Amino acid sequence: MASSSYSNSPCAACKFLRRKCMPDCIFAPYFPPEEPQKFANVHKIFGASNVSKLLNEVLPHQREDAVNSLAYEAEARMKDPVYGCVGAISVLQRQVIRLQKELDATNADLIRYACNEMPAANPQFARRMGHGRGFL
Amino acid sequence: MTLKGGTSQACASCKYQRRKCSSECPLAPYFPPEQPKMFQNAHRLFGVRKILRILENLESPQKEEAMRSIIYQANIRDRFPVHGCLGIICQLHFQIRQMEEELRAVYAHLEMYRQQHHHQIEALTEDVPSQLELGMALPQPCLAQQYSYSMGSNIGYSSSFLDSNENVGNSFWGQHPYATNNNTNSKPVIQSQLVASQPLSTQQEVVQDYDEMHSFFDIIDDRQSYIETKEPYDSSSEESLKDTTQSMEHVAENELKSAAACFSLTSVN
Repeated sequence: MASSSYSNSPCAACKFLRRKCMPDCIFAPYFPPEEPQKFANVHKIFGASNVSKLLNEVLPHQREDAVNSLAYEAEARMKDPVYGCVGAISVLQRQVIRLQKELDATNADLIRYACNEMPAANPQFARRMGHGRGFL
Repeated sequence: MTLKGGTSQACASCKYQRRKCSSECPLAPYFPPEQPKMFQNAHRLFGVRKILRILENLESPQKEEAMRSIIYQANIRDRFPVHGCLGIICQLHFQIRQMEEELRAVYAHLEMYRQQHHHQIEALTEDVPSQLELGMALPQPCLAQQYSYSMGSNIGYSSSFLDSNENVGNSFWGQHPYATNNNTNSKPVIQSQLVASQPLSTQQEVVQDYDEMHSFFDIIDDRQSYIETKEPYDSSSEESLKDTTQSMEHVAENELKSAAACFSLTSVN
């Protein structure tokens, strides 16, 4: 067995694909043999060829993030074949909308309070009211 | 998404693969020929075979939804090759946290106002007898009613914000960006209006059923069209998305991982 970047055993991708794991295997740094399911999911949803092309199109220091995001999306798609990870986006967007509405309503209340407080906060204004001279 | 007729041209999928597009082409309804980029993105991420495999176990109405989510996911990956949809999720998480913090601060501020009003009412009611003596009575019933109305309808506000954010009010005035933005911008308008007392909202929000996905793609479509044309965002929500996605690229690795952990579905491992 050829060595992977981390150990003498082939990476999870080469194990899955039943091929020799070369020293320059693009999958080896990101699919360790201890996590076979990670590559299995990614392969099932996206395919090894597509993942390889995607990794080659990003910079080396970005590949780990790219693989993690692909692994997340693959797992989400397997759990929910209809919406995949897009379902989570929908949920979060609804939450943002709800929070924004709540913020708007609460801000409006704050403005009303500020308006109600202003006459009392102004001593001259309060004195004018107390002496019944009305508003000038 | 139009159904392919007998005389219409090949769908984007068959065009790309340079093959004849039959009337039974399974991808024709989803990849019209005038949007080749949409298919290219989907093909780059998933591939035709994988897409068909996803669709083969789904019923007809689910197939439409699945294809829309696949197209959306592929477009997002084209737009953000490194983080894809996970980056969007992280950005939304961040946005939600910010909004929740802002909401907590505003509630604390409101609680301060409530207490101030309470003290003012007490002070005003103490002054009434002396003013009556001087024959200079205030229109107290109206004022008292206004304040008591405000207080009464304020019962819905939780006092927990004050308990847990006792110092928020002090720091809020000086430092909170929201206070700066809203107080300075809105006060001139308020002064001219002297808003009459209105029912204060009790912040009762019906929790939405997140399982309802019918209006989901109404939200997603704007983003999708943006992705296809790659023009600047128009809506404010998309502008914030653009701003935060620019910072998204700088999201720390542990941010991504922790967000993924929050959302990671039950691991098959």
